[in-house]
Amino acid sequence: MTTHNDRVDQAIRNAVETALPQINGIDFDAALTSDVGLDSVQVMDLVMEIEDELDISVPVEVLAEVQTLNQLGERLRSMIKDNPR
Amino acid sequence: MSLFDKFSHLAAARAGLGAEGTPPVATPIEDIISAAEGVIDGKRVILAGTNNYLGLTLDPDVVDSAKKALEHFGTGTTGSRMANGSYNAHGALEQEISAAFGWPSAMVFSTGYQANLASIATLAGKDDYLLLDSDSHASIYDGAKLGNAQTVIFRHNDPGNLDRRLSRLGADASRALIVVEGLYSMLGDQPPLAEFIEVKKRHNAWLLLDEAHSFGVFGDKGLGLAEQAGVLDDIDFVVGTFSKSLGGIGGFCTSPHAQLELLRLAARPYIFTASPSPAVIASTRTALSKVIAGTDLRTRLWDNINRLYRALETYGYRLGSDKPGPVAAIILPDRESALAHWRGLLSNGIYTNLMVPPATPKGLNLLRISLSAAHTPEHIDRIIQAFGQLRKAA
Repeated sequence: MTTHNDRVDQAIRNAVETALPQINGIDFDAALTSDVGLDSVQVMDLVMEIEDELDISVPVEVLAEVQTLNQLGERLRSMIKDNPR
Repeated sequence: MSLFDKFSHLAAARAGLGAEGTPPVATPIEDIISAAEGVIDGKRVILAGTNNYLGLTLDPDVVDSAKKALEHFGTGTTGSRMANGSYNAHGALEQEISAAFGWPSAMVFSTGYQANLASIATLAGKDDYLLLDSDSHASIYDGAKLGNAQTVIFRHNDPGNLDRRLSRLGADASRALIVVEGLYSMLGDQPPLAEFIEVKKRHNAWLLLDEAHSFGVFGDKGLGLAEQAGVLDDIDFVVGTFSKSLGGIGGFCTSPHAQLELLRLAARPYIFTASPSPAVIASTRTALSKVIAGTDLRTRLWDNINRLYRALETYGYRLGSDKPGPVAAIILPDRESALAHWRGLLSNGIYTNLMVPPATPKGLNLLRISLSAAHTPEHIDRIIQAFGQLRKAA
């Protein structure tokens, strides 16, 4: 059985591949804007991919609170735990 | 560490546009000759980068009404609509807007930005939801930030993507406000309005349509894309601006829901700012009457639009929209070629807008041309010729 943990990480990896094909092997601990160099539009594109992968809606307020993919993953896991499908 | 450190990336982006020559950002316009011509760097140029779609800024009747109001009522109201800033003319303009739409209520705001800020932040409250198109204007995003609703973004012009997000809300979708624009100003593209309305109705949600760039341009009375599409009855709120087709400054929100009036008691960008000056209200009222009766203006505008779109397509340019409209956005491969096009056109006496990331969707480098009823056939000839020369040189 796939755990939420695996599912979220896999969804993020798939989303990075689709939304940011130019980036190889993204570091989950890197700050998306200052380290990876993404602009706000690219971050939003990435999150929309993740939403479709996980079939959840991520409020934009969450984006202001996270800097790295690991932080985003944590928030997504807690959202899924609070609202299991 | 300085408070200004966080702006270094913006300074770098500006520096990337070159320090030499006329600045492509906040280009100084030294004089205005007509609604379609001005002076930049001491040289007479065609203004093809304004939002003066109907050319009403220098219409003699519009200017005259502003002059009379200025002389009679003075330079400003010095107060909020809630205090001493509601003159008869403010109310009259609101009635004229609501009457044009055939709706019971309209509110006037001091800028178009504030119209979106107030409407979006106030209509969608703490337990409500905002569903925003990803290419939304900054005023829409800022309205979401100012308010307390939970905000979810859907893919640009994608009703299926919106449908999935509303489905996740279940019955709560009846407390969701969807926001789309009648014309997106960066790419000049239009929304699939009928499909969005179908999704909205199915989920019992609400729809706000921002007609900032489409008001005056589309529809028999110039009320915007919803009028042209014959779907006004299915829209809950229309937001518009006075600073484009109406040639002034200010904005409005109008609605078939009479309860819109309640926003006067709750919308902070409406309450805590000075009301529009009497001269602006007067010029807007005259301009509005001309927009509603302005079939000839729209005919001239659309002749110009169709000619330019056809020519750009013939030259093989990639455009932001396959449907012609008042904004023609040329997608160029990189920042350098966009800047070269902008400078090339300016040296040929044509002012346009350079749009580069992060201000643009999908990281695109754009040259944005906006058309006007004030452009003569000769102006359009010159714009087309200038693109022809650039194409030859490329």
